[in-house]
Amino acid sequence: MKLSRVNNLLLVLIILIDGYIVVAPLLPNLFFNIQQHQGKRQALQKLIQPGSKTAPSGPQPNQVIIPSMLLDQPVLEGTVANQYKTLDKGIWRWPGSSTPDKGGNTVLIGHRFTYTNPRGVFYFLNKVKVGDELGIVWNNKKYEYKVATVNEVSPKDTTIEDATAQPELTLFTCTPLWLPKDRLVVVADLEAHP
Amino acid sequence: MSEKTKFWILLVLLILSVILLIVLQSNANKVLLSR
Repeated sequence: MKLSRVNNLLLVLIILIDGYIVVAPLLPNLFFNIQQHQGKRQALQKLIQPGSKTAPSGPQPNQVIIPSMLLDQPVLEGTVANQYKTLDKGIWRWPGSSTPDKGGNTVLIGHRFTYTNPRGVFYFLNKVKVGDELGIVWNNKKYEYKVATVNEVSPKDTTIEDATAQPELTLFTCTPLWLPKDRLVVVADLEAHP
Repeated sequence: MSEKTKFWILLVLLILSVILLIVLQSNANKVLLSR
């Protein structure tokens, strides 16, 4: 192959890689707007109301539903040794934390954005505001929460994972989107439970 | 500029792009999982 053709190939590769680096973080917004127009938020809002079923029949998977960020995803269990693999699949419940049925602090972790999976499960966690409602289905029972605080903390601040006396839900991901250096933390208080 | 010089410049740029992609990818895990 001629050297000029090799150079052209290299140039195309560079443009593709650099283009992906720049464009990939923006793509999820496009899908978010489409889903919002399709009324997904209203549909999820109905799902978190008491009495509504999240699955047509049979046992319901453990899942978290956050209408304001159009999220309806299973909650995955996994050991710390497998944390990278579990997080690549979705939302990971920090095994050192509680579960909704036991009270205390339930901690859920998810990626905001990665280049291998541009639309991370918590990509739109920044759209969640104080007062928003969210729901968790745990062992076939529905738990309703209301967002109490939205903060950014340093990755060294592990107090967000501490046990609490009152039942609450802590969700966190990376922030800012492009060059993450902190954690975006949403804490929600339990409002209603079975 | 000769084709050979262009080749080396483009090769270095390609390697830098791949390194940037890897660094950005690993940074997300570092912030999320550091304790």
